[in-house]
Amino acid sequence: MNGFSPSSHLLLTIAAPLVGAVVAWALGSRGVSAVRQSAAVSAVVTLGLAGWLIVRFLGDAAAVSGLPFALVEMPWLTEGIFDVKLSLGLDGLSLWMFGLAALLSVTAVFVSWDAVKDRPVGFYVLLLVLEAAMLGVFAARDVILFYTCFEFTLVPLFFLIGIWGHDDRRRAAAKFFIYTLTGSVFTFLGLLAIVLWNASHSGTVTFDIETLTDAMKINPMPMSAEGGWLQMIVFLALLAGFAVKVPIVPFHTWLPLAHVEAPTGGSVDLAGVLLKLGIYGFLRFSLPMLPEATAVAAPWLFGLGVTGIIYGALVALVQTDLKRLIAYSSVSHMGYIVMGLFALTPVATEGANLQLINHGISSAGLFALVGMIYERFHTRNIASLGGIASKAPWLTVMFMLFTFSSIGLPGLNGFVGEFMILAGSFQRAWSGVSPVWQTAYLAMSLLAVVGVVLGAWYMLWAVERVFFGGSREPPRDHGHDAAASHATTGSHGSHGGHAVPHDRCDLRWHELAALLPLAVFAIWIGLAPATFLRPAFAARMRLTDPAAQVAQAPTP
Amino acid sequence: MQDIAPSTLLVLVPLLPLVAAILTVALGRTLGSRAHLPAIAGIAASAAVAITLLVGMAREVGVGGSGHDQPARPVEMVTTLWEWASVPDAQAAGVATATNLSIPVALRLDPLTSTLLVIITCVGLLVAVYSIGYMHGDPGYPRFFVLVSMFVFSMTMLVAASNFLLVYVFWEAVGACSYLLIGFWFTKPEAAKAAKKAFLVNRVGDFGLAVATFLLWMTYGTLNFHDTVLADGTTMPGILGVTRLADASGYVGGVVGTAICLLLLLAACGKSAQLPLHVWLPDAMEGPTPASALIHAATMVTAGIYLVARSAPLFVACPGALTMVSIVGATTALVAALIGTVQNDLKRVLAYSTISQLGYMFASLGTGTLLGFTAAIFHLVTHAFFKALLFLGAGSVMHSMGGVIDMRRFGGLRRIMPITAATFLIGSLALAGVAPFAGFFSKDEILASLHSRGWPDAHGEHHEAVPAGGHALTAGSFHLVSVTPDAGQLAGGGRGSQLDSLNHPSTWRLLFWMSLVTAGLTAFYTFRAVFMTFTGPTRVPEEAGRHSHGAAGSAAHESPPVMTIPLVILAVASAMSGWLLFNSHALATFLAATPSFTAPSVASTATPPAFHWDLAIQGSLAAAAGIVVAALGHLGKRSDGPQMERFLGPLETLFANRFYFDQIYAGLIVKPLEFVATLSAVIDRYLIDGTVDLVARLPFALGAVVRHLQSGLVQRYALAGVIGMLLIVLALVARAMG
Repeated sequence: MNGFSPSSHLLLTIAAPLVGAVVAWALGSRGVSAVRQSAAVSAVVTLGLAGWLIVRFLGDAAAVSGLPFALVEMPWLTEGIFDVKLSLGLDGLSLWMFGLAALLSVTAVFVSWDAVKDRPVGFYVLLLVLEAAMLGVFAARDVILFYTCFEFTLVPLFFLIGIWGHDDRRRAAAKFFIYTLTGSVFTFLGLLAIVLWNASHSGTVTFDIETLTDAMKINPMPMSAEGGWLQMIVFLALLAGFAVKVPIVPFHTWLPLAHVEAPTGGSVDLAGVLLKLGIYGFLRFSLPMLPEATAVAAPWLFGLGVTGIIYGALVALVQTDLKRLIAYSSVSHMGYIVMGLFALTPVATEGANLQLINHGISSAGLFALVGMIYERFHTRNIASLGGIASKAPWLTVMFMLFTFSSIGLPGLNGFVGEFMILAGSFQRAWSGVSPVWQTAYLAMSLLAVVGVVLGAWYMLWAVERVFFGGSREPPRDHGHDAAASHATTGSHGSHGGHAVPHDRCDLRWHELAALLPLAVFAIWIGLAPATFLRPAFAARMRLTDPAAQVAQAPTP
Repeated sequence: MQDIAPSTLLVLVPLLPLVAAILTVALGRTLGSRAHLPAIAGIAASAAVAITLLVGMAREVGVGGSGHDQPARPVEMVTTLWEWASVPDAQAAGVATATNLSIPVALRLDPLTSTLLVIITCVGLLVAVYSIGYMHGDPGYPRFFVLVSMFVFSMTMLVAASNFLLVYVFWEAVGACSYLLIGFWFTKPEAAKAAKKAFLVNRVGDFGLAVATFLLWMTYGTLNFHDTVLADGTTMPGILGVTRLADASGYVGGVVGTAICLLLLLAACGKSAQLPLHVWLPDAMEGPTPASALIHAATMVTAGIYLVARSAPLFVACPGALTMVSIVGATTALVAALIGTVQNDLKRVLAYSTISQLGYMFASLGTGTLLGFTAAIFHLVTHAFFKALLFLGAGSVMHSMGGVIDMRRFGGLRRIMPITAATFLIGSLALAGVAPFAGFFSKDEILASLHSRGWPDAHGEHHEAVPAGGHALTAGSFHLVSVTPDAGQLAGGGRGSQLDSLNHPSTWRLLFWMSLVTAGLTAFYTFRAVFMTFTGPTRVPEEAGRHSHGAAGSAAHESPPVMTIPLVILAVASAMSGWLLFNSHALATFLAATPSFTAPSVASTATPPAFHWDLAIQGSLAAAAGIVVAALGHLGKRSDGPQMERFLGPLETLFANRFYFDQIYAGLIVKPLEFVATLSAVIDRYLIDGTVDLVARLPFALGAVVRHLQSGLVQRYALAGVIGMLLIVLALVARAMG
């Protein structure tokens, strides 16, 4: 292993999907199966490389203690006042997101296996390019690379939605692209302001995130009227892009549309990874670089997070389209993460950080399953579905698993993050800075716990309508108790176009390949979250601590 | 098994059913009609281990030894398996609450836990054996045994968990098992609906447990029950650890303490189906009857009792909350018994009876005396036997009647199914509290505990024992509240929560009378069911013959031995356990060594064991009255004839509609929430998204971009980005030059 340094390992991991994209393109003339097989191989190889890299990270005491791992630095412009490098590397914060991006890309390829027959070359090439961009954004250690990858994730997804999406795909793609882009332009300006602020003080133009973070500690941006509230303005500029990306209510309306129209593979990546970029941005830039502004804005964003939880859950409750329901559940769940992040207590931010992964797994699983249901019954309308449990038991088992994960059933991953976020929020209420905020924090935290009840309501109601109840098939003998109510069976539910023969209705191998790894991690994180928390702790702590310190300090 | 460490044995109790569940999942299809084997073997082995542990624990405590004179010393054993999650508090400076989050997966063994482990595994085993016959031929046969094994695993973990978070974990896990078992026949829309309802109502209770957990963590800095030794050698006192228990001022009273206790009570109300969260349990009868017997009668629904009993010192520090426990319990007992008197579905009679009996246990817990706590657990044990027996008996009837459970459609079944009839009668006598059956003794103790609070002078012993100490910790803005109610009135200065004013002898007298009335009602509805089902002319519904293709009704028969043997075993337990456990005082002595009950505030209320003749006579009279009325109305009569409820007048409508709880919830919570949800969706679509679209259209330039979107915006954007970057770099260079 000596000849294969972590740095080259990292580069290879990011390059692998690009190589895979070229291979897939080259194989284009050989038909669908060659293309998708090559895409699957690239995605699996990338996952293997990423997994191995994570194992190496975990074996490195320095990395676990918070230092960057697998550093790659390429000088770009280092003359005069310029010290511009392209630099890559992983730390505890990006480690699991990096792994998640690789994991979900495998899922995205396998769920598209039968679903995408039209122009497969373009589809898989874009999917692999998207993977490279996602890996890149989490490995980026300088502002230029980060922002490039951050924006570049939009392009493949724009085409994936716009070409392979459903009926209203063009409007959805346009809205998704323009909305998030408009926000990100402000983010870019904010990042530039940070770079320039540093340049004006240190005399060096550097884009290196770590250098900037340290420099902002020494020369913080002014947070007063004399300084023009510069820190707050920059914070708001960053917020513009991140809030749309997360999305924080009320900047969320692009999300349900994009999800409903996106092909399943696109939804998996969108919900699983791309939504996390906003939170990742807060953690990487806002909290460490603009701590005073963060502390001032935190209660409001905490409130918006709680609003999102309740609002997303309520809107999800009345959805008639299963995919749209899951999309709104994402809005609700991202609300928990926003809330946890801006509670600014160690437990809450740690929970928010873990919940990024958890939501990635459960929402990707649910979107994948909705895609599978659509392939079978050609509808996502909840009222048209029913009794799937009798026809596809393993599909049902998987859906139940990810439902339970999503509604925070203990023993599965979702519970861990939710619990830590809520515990940390109560901690924030307790350590309250002023009695007014203390009461407000307590009330909002209680509301967030109410969201847990609502979450169970909309998900289990959907499960009841989609999976349980009778179907058009003749009723089976269900033993003694059921005999009394057989009369009612069959009168309920009537799904449209039951095109797939009964014996081919349950999960197929590639669908299982898409879901099983997610299921394994859902259970693993649920049972032993410490394994996943420990390596992330030091790095996350270093980033959230400045803002947390400010939030804790007594204000006059 | 002497060589094996008790900690290993303790782990085996939940582990064996878990392994059984996994094996059944893996081998279900291969095993086919023998899919019950792993579950039976796993739960049987688990039961054997649990009994071994109970025996060892009894030896440790010294049950049957010399004296009841010295106070019990706490006995516990804790084993930590792994660290589930931990977040060190690295913010050393400026943190108001220096609170580490450290959650170990720790199991504990103490008298309370080991008693419940034996009940869960033994009743679980009998139910599993019974299910071989009951579930025979069901397409979901393996799935049923997977779920039952998972349930036994979760339930044993729940009572063995040694911190509040772990309790929450398995609190929800048993709820999930319950959800899946209620919805076992998922093609029935009623079953699917009932499953969802059970989960959601329980989630409302879980809300209480979750918030209580957060408050406990903030108040006590840990969630562990037990004391832990930290890395630096200091001891971190657990919430229910011996260190804090020995400290007379170790528990927070006042507003925060009361809030914690009321939230725990809310949780208990959800899981144990107490008012106002009881509405899910009757609907849960849509599940297979063995599941109803195990989960919705004998074990899971008693989790709330366990939680309150385990948290005894917390409750005793908050007299107001404690009184609320009794008020909720006694009210539930009465209301559920009233509803039970007009039910015609045999399983629903039993469901309301379960709610009512659990209410008794809560009433007893709320007295806050050692007698009250042990009496509640005593009743939990006897109730587990006789209620499981009654449910399995009802299942046997249902099995024979081709799935019909409406009592008006059959009658005189004692001639067709004598074993079921005899065992059901024994269970009914136990439930009705007829001497010398089990329920008589445990109910007597519950009445005694209530009586001692209503008429304290008649029970002088416990008064003298009120400790001088017993003042609750004051933390921050929380004020002094004394632990024992009587001392609290003496102290006077302590400003307790508003609820404390409820804690008055007249309240307790009312609760006592309510419980006595409930005892009469219990005997009435139980024997109404017995007489309707087993006496009168023999009638069998036509569905009974369906599954054997015989003439209608001709196939009605006694159930196979695999079903009747568990009935007989439970009948023996229902007949004997009360007398055995009461007469030897074994259970009470044993339970008194549970750490939670050794807190001075609880232990000081200990009274010498006594049989209360006056209460026994009152209770027996009530039961006799109930049975006589039931006999007048139903003994030997056709069950589809005129019913007793015609004498109730308008009350009958109220009872038959279950006091309109479901309608009130639908009108006050579900419908308004659905309206708000619809409103939110409209706002989302037209206000929020509409604004977004409007903003997007406002600038003409942006509108142009939208129109030409398909013609290569992306490249243009990339170009713009590059140009922008160049401009900035140039500007920087210019600035540097200048």
